[in-house]
Amino acid sequence: MIIIGAGPAGLSAAIYGVRKKLKTLVLCQHLGGQAAEAHAVENYPGIPGISGAELSEKITAHAKKLGAEIKEGITIKRIAPTGDIFEIQADKDTFQGRAIILATGKKYRQLEIPGAAEFESKGISYCTTCDAPLFSGKTVAVIGAGDAGQDAAWQLTKYAAKIYLLNKYAELRGAHAQLHEHLSDNEKVEICANSEPVEIKGGKFVKGLVYKCGDDTKEIAVDGIFVEIGAVPASELARDLVKFNKKDEIVIDPKTNMTSRTGIFAAGDVTDTPQKQMIVAAGEGAKAALGAAEYLKSLQNTDQY
Amino acid sequence: MIKVYSTPTCPYCVTLKKFLKEKGFEFEDIDVSADQTELQEMIDKSGQMGVPVINIDGQIIVGFNREKIVELLNIKE
Repeated sequence: MIIIGAGPAGLSAAIYGVRKKLKTLVLCQHLGGQAAEAHAVENYPGIPGISGAELSEKITAHAKKLGAEIKEGITIKRIAPTGDIFEIQADKDTFQGRAIILATGKKYRQLEIPGAAEFESKGISYCTTCDAPLFSGKTVAVIGAGDAGQDAAWQLTKYAAKIYLLNKYAELRGAHAQLHEHLSDNEKVEICANSEPVEIKGGKFVKGLVYKCGDDTKEIAVDGIFVEIGAVPASELARDLVKFNKKDEIVIDPKTNMTSRTGIFAAGDVTDTPQKQMIVAAGEGAKAALGAAEYLKSLQNTDQY
Repeated sequence: MIKVYSTPTCPYCVTLKKFLKEKGFEFEDIDVSADQTELQEMIDKSGQMGVPVINIDGQIIVGFNREKIVELLNIKE
């Protein structure tokens, strides 16, 4: 089986595939996937508290120890079906397999206001875990006040001198009531309710942010902007191959993880499984691998991918 | 000469450094969250603020661009 994506779903699928004594290949861009960027994971059963990066490393080490073949830095251009074989075309190589597991997860929703493209990496960051430490003593804004935005603001209180948290709603929503309190009480944090970003300004790097607050337009001087406005499924590869739901997620049979196309399976955040959590992704990866194993057995062709 | 600019919490920085160690390359490991001068040097040399940044004999690469790094370091894979 060929697994595309090496986050918890993909690597869990690899563990199960290898243990079923099936030829298993994982193709990915970065080991660990989005999960590796999580600042703190406290709900993975068996592990009370760990960083996303460390947990991803453990899962990767487990898959490697069992002998999973993993190729990193692979960008896939196309998946082309020919009969009951799928040809996966990457930049430099082509791979063939009878069972594919799509475990590509999600990618960040990009900010689309004037200045967002111009200043990407020049003061705008989509990875708070990576870049928060670079803004010690500085003034920053977090755009997006859902769970991820709140967590970003919280991480930044360790470093930044002042944090504006832009919330498009009137009040803080999300799963962590305690965090709402911590943020409201923290002197460094200014929560801008009913606010939406309008423009990012700067010279060589970000200098300011213009936003609308109700009917007013305001401008603040900031050194950095962290964007946490949600994520979209990384499902374009399968665009013409399988059925999607309205959210661009891949629809799967919950029992086998097979998609609408025989031989293509999917697992994790890229699917219509509503819970986007590491433990769910790991469970779904295992199911997908077992589903793919059953399928390959039915083809009686277990000496190919 | 290899110099890596990184922050302690950045997962791509970790995988990059692990990769270099696995392939047997020695490098200067700079934590830019702890050193403003080095941070400024990184920003000046790379024209941007993201980590990791790797300087291989004067060539600057932003992010863990595996392909380019393999090419520059002549790694046989």
